Amino acid sequence: MMSSIGGAFSKILPSSSSSYSSSLSLKKPPTCFNSWALARRTSCAAAASSVASETQSLGHATRPDFPILHQEINGSKLVYLDNAATSQKPTAVLNALHNYYEAYNSNVHRGVHFLSAKATDAYELARKKVATFINAPDSREIVFTRNATEAINLVAYSWGLTNLKTGDQVVLTIAEHHSAVVPWQIVAQKTGAELKFVSLTDDEVPDMEALRKLLSKNTKLVVLHHVSNMLASVLPIEEIVLWAHDVGAKVLVDACQSVPHMVVDVQSLNADFLVASSHKMCGPTGIGFLYGKSELLAAMPPFLGGGEMIADVFLDHSTYAEPPSRFEAGTPAIGEAVGLGAAIDYLSGIGMQKIHEYEVELANYLYGSLREVPNVRIYGPAPSETVTRAALCCFNVEDIHPTDIATFLDQQHGVAIRSGHHCAQPLHRFLGINASARASLYFYNTKQDVDDFITALKDTISFFSSFK
Amino acid sequence: MYSLVSQSSSPPSLTSSSSIPSICMNKHIQINPRNQNSRKHKPFSIKCKHPICSPRIINPSVNSSDNVARKVNCLIAEFKSLKEPIDRVKTLLHYATLLPFLDESIRSEENKVPGCTAQVWLEVKMDFEGFMRFRVDSDSEITKGFASCLIWLLDGASPEEVVAVKAEDLAEMNVGILPANSRVNTWNTVLLSMQKRTIALAEQRFGDSSKSLALFTCK
Repeated sequence: MMSSIGGAFSKILPSSSSSYSSSLSLKKPPTCFNSWALARRTSCAAAASSVASETQSLGHATRPDFPILHQEINGSKLVYLDNAATSQKPTAVLNALHNYYEAYNSNVHRGVHFLSAKATDAYELARKKVATFINAPDSREIVFTRNATEAINLVAYSWGLTNLKTGDQVVLTIAEHHSAVVPWQIVAQKTGAELKFVSLTDDEVPDMEALRKLLSKNTKLVVLHHVSNMLASVLPIEEIVLWAHDVGAKVLVDACQSVPHMVVDVQSLNADFLVASSHKMCGPTGIGFLYGKSELLAAMPPFLGGGEMIADVFLDHSTYAEPPSRFEAGTPAIGEAVGLGAAIDYLSGIGMQKIHEYEVELANYLYGSLREVPNVRIYGPAPSETVTRAALCCFNVEDIHPTDIATFLDQQHGVAIRSGHHCAQPLHRFLGINASARASLYFYNTKQDVDDFITALKDTISFFSSFK
Repeated sequence: MYSLVSQSSSPPSLTSSSSIPSICMNKHIQINPRNQNSRKHKPFSIKCKHPICSPRIINPSVNSSDNVARKVNCLIAEFKSLKEPIDRVKTLLHYATLLPFLDESIRSEENKVPGCTAQVWLEVKMDFEGFMRFRVDSDSEITKGFASCLIWLLDGASPEEVVAVKAEDLAEMNVGILPANSRVNTWNTVLLSMQKRTIALAEQRFGDSSKSLALFTCK
């Protein structure tokens, strides 16, 4: 009977009353202000703005800034470990969005009234903040898009259709996100260009030697990730750019998993194009950006047509604006740009180097803890003195489907991880798997989160093992 | 066999001897184990000799549409009574164990259900009387559990009965809060696949008269 089955299960599972704090519920944190001077007066902002104390990790110091983290899921404290999919937003960003819509929402670039001027200033200030954040020499090299996927499509359809022809090659790795692959498949079909993919080494990182050998005078573009969303590996972009430029190829860097987590300097990297998404870096969804070198953007035809991107419109033809406007058709995501600007302020207030150092510590802790769990296979390189992993682990547990693991972790323990192919089907196919689970951290996570995840994972494995 | 617990307020229970989720809490639903699937036309014997008949299914070819609806309600009632989400997981895992062991031959590309995060293989056939027979396998135990419920509902049903089941009717079976169009909502994808392939087989067998089936398919 059901009750007896339930009784049998209760013997397998530990009590769900839990070692977790049972009093956690959705708490409203103190209000945070945009100005760091004002922010120091509040506990929320003090945690955000200051260096983490010696007794308090960066994760503990910043958690109060993120209201969404303070809730229960199915009776357990939320442990959010899905940051590679999307990050959570600090109160400063929420306030910026709210303030925009409450105080000065207006369409940009055209109006002459006060609200429009203020909105335009805020939108363009956000663009400058992005430029400063990645050390782009000119804010006109920042094109706002809906997200990194749209940014890659912009390059593909605008630069790609104009510059690729039969016989040309686009070099990628098999570890690329679908958004970095599919647009080029479409453009390759239209232009006759060929896509070439670099495989992995035995250490499960893209083979740089093979990539270097693949580059030739036929290579027109190299598209690759900075940090892999599955392998957690970090590619030597500066070196690759040198190799690519030597053969006359451009380089497009997918920086979705690097810009939120470390210092990214486009001048140092010397990449020709770089893309990232706001929602992975504490900013709102609905906005991302393309960085492109001025001379490249200037030579590129429009991607989408409409208002804003034109200079003059006649019945039989139109002339187009200069970049970045040329590539920003229609009313932009103004509030979202302002939110992204606030996110950049927040991250800069902590310091990207500090965030990176903390996350390296977390990454090693996560990897080390997960490696100790029996029957777990982690993908990507092992961390070492020469190999730094991002703070994420894609893994599989023998004989248990990752979706089952993720479901149980969520339902029984409030632990949020991702399962599936993580938009990296070619990589999964290469590794001989159909799906994997992924735990990914951000600077507001703590070692306690990792401990809670590992405890929950062991319980999950024990549960499913008892079933077989 | 299964038994009816109609009067009790306790949660429905599974009998270990039955692979069919046993219980309907609604006292107004009478399920007669012997005649539950009675039809106006001749019923099949319990020991169906058709090679694809699952030995678990009783009178597979005599599901009345009324009965499929009752089974849906029964299943919904059972899952609704499971207040804790983890209990739904456990229930599904138990149902997964009740699926018969299938050999590797079912795991063909032809049988693969596209669009699922877990791998699901679904075999759909129409028996010689025109009723639908389903077999399913998956690499995910929770998905197997969902599939087991779907099999119980629809194996042996007529094509009309298969396509009449709506995804939203089974929303209560969801583990967690999964919208119907989520890629993680595998059981919804499996149901749709069952229905689409049922329509295809019905068109093959019965021709134009089955075209109206398409109107009932959940999109």
